[in-house]
Amino acid sequence: MVRTAVALLFSALCISLPAGRLAAAERAQAKPPVNPHAQALVEFKKRVDTYLELRRAVTQKYPEVKETGDPAKIHDREVALGKGIAMARISAKPGDVFGPVSGQLLTIVEKDWNARSPADQKAILAEIPKGFVLKINQPYPPDVALATVPPKLLAQLPMLPEELEYRLVDRRLLLRDRDANLIVDVLVGAEPTRAE
Amino acid sequence: MRVHPLLLSGLLALGVSTLSAQQAPATAQPAAQTAKSSLEISAPRDMDSVRFAIIGDSGTGDRRQYEVGAQMTKAMEIFPFEFVIMLGDNIYGSERPQDFIKKFEKPYEGLLTQKIPFYASLGNHDDPTQRFYKPFNMNGERFYTFKKGDARFFALDSNYMDQAQLKWLEEQLSRANDRWKVAFFHHPLYSSGARHGSEVDLRTRLEPLFVKYGMDIVFAGHEHFYERIVPQKGIYYFTQGGSAKLREGNIRVNSALTGKGFDVDNVFMVAELGKESMQFQVVSRTGKRVDSGSLPLMPEPKQADDKSRSQ
Repeated sequence: MVRTAVALLFSALCISLPAGRLAAAERAQAKPPVNPHAQALVEFKKRVDTYLELRRAVTQKYPEVKETGDPAKIHDREVALGKGIAMARISAKPGDVFGPVSGQLLTIVEKDWNARSPADQKAILAEIPKGFVLKINQPYPPDVALATVPPKLLAQLPMLPEELEYRLVDRRLLLRDRDANLIVDVLVGAEPTRAE
Repeated sequence: MRVHPLLLSGLLALGVSTLSAQQAPATAQPAAQTAKSSLEISAPRDMDSVRFAIIGDSGTGDRRQYEVGAQMTKAMEIFPFEFVIMLGDNIYGSERPQDFIKKFEKPYEGLLTQKIPFYASLGNHDDPTQRFYKPFNMNGERFYTFKKGDARFFALDSNYMDQAQLKWLEEQLSRANDRWKVAFFHHPLYSSGARHGSEVDLRTRLEPLFVKYGMDIVFAGHEHFYERIVPQKGIYYFTQGGSAKLREGNIRVNSALTGKGFDVDNVFMVAELGKESMQFQVVSRTGKRVDSGSLPLMPEPKQADDKSRSQ
């Protein structure tokens, strides 16, 4: 009933309104166009900011180490900060930060990979550590090298604040807290490691 | 910085004028040189020059690292370098407090006790928190710059060459008016290594800046051997990632990039930056000099480049 009434009303308007006024009415009714990619980036940035806010709160308990000749101080602070952040986001799960841009990131990584020469791909694969378990809120294994992120790829990924960095490991793109050595988020299925 | 065609052709013809021990120029301390027969190293040409040592991929904590460290301490007596630059992979494996002792403080104890400062760059095996370790003199930064005499040094983090770092580098280079500009970082832009090879991706980001702003010398590690690259676009490149690790026989034979390669033992390198040229010597773990030479300072970038730079 209601639908029929709306349809009749719409037909009547179409008949009674001149074309120009009809278009104006349509424009007024339509929502402003949204670029879904841009929207996802905004949401991603919000999530990064939320993480930083949480991190700041934890950092207050573990003040930044200025330069020191005592590596124990650096090590202890890194471990304490990592544990503190992990406790503060104990329910964190994969996608909590990457969530809205996961698809975009996978596409970026895949396109970048496909554009590389076989020699370049081989060199990147040789650098990427593999064969160990990575979990959110766990430290990045201290004995394992930090794979270099190819600069061209890095230039295409959304920029991160200094506290965070991307890393490629095995079949995953990681979000790592640089000074806490903490795995903040993991995106599974990223090239280039699919080529193994 | 552009290569002057005459200088370049002369350089290539001479194979970069390698100096043997016998050919070494008269120096300030010839007696010391002959006294240390087990260590083939010449004294500096000019005591006013900027003198430094270069080590890369050093932080294993194994015997080889200690042996190279001992040779460096001995070398100090003949070639008194003022500081050491580190090309990354400063601490391999775990980075517990005791690792810093075993993999850095002990092997270079002879230099540290003489208050020789070290300036580190980060490798892919290094936790970025190493930048807080005072003996590495990184001022808490992943990338930084410092000045010594007429030379400006740029320590870069080639593991993570993000936009922020590139912007910083361009700003720093654009205001640097030092006679010598020297960059050091972990990944080589040019390499004949069979395992890694040239870091082409990184090169596309860094080389345009190096050329535009007249970088003179670039030191990198990552490849576990020594290689002097034939000058590229007016820039001298050295790979020196063999100060503890060794990837024996890994330099590709007949590579057009290689000016001189050495991949059968560990090495350290010393260099001095003078008014007109850089002298360098590469010494193996057993004290043998495996490469040396004199490289002229290239002319400043042309005026046209300066104009385009300011636009």
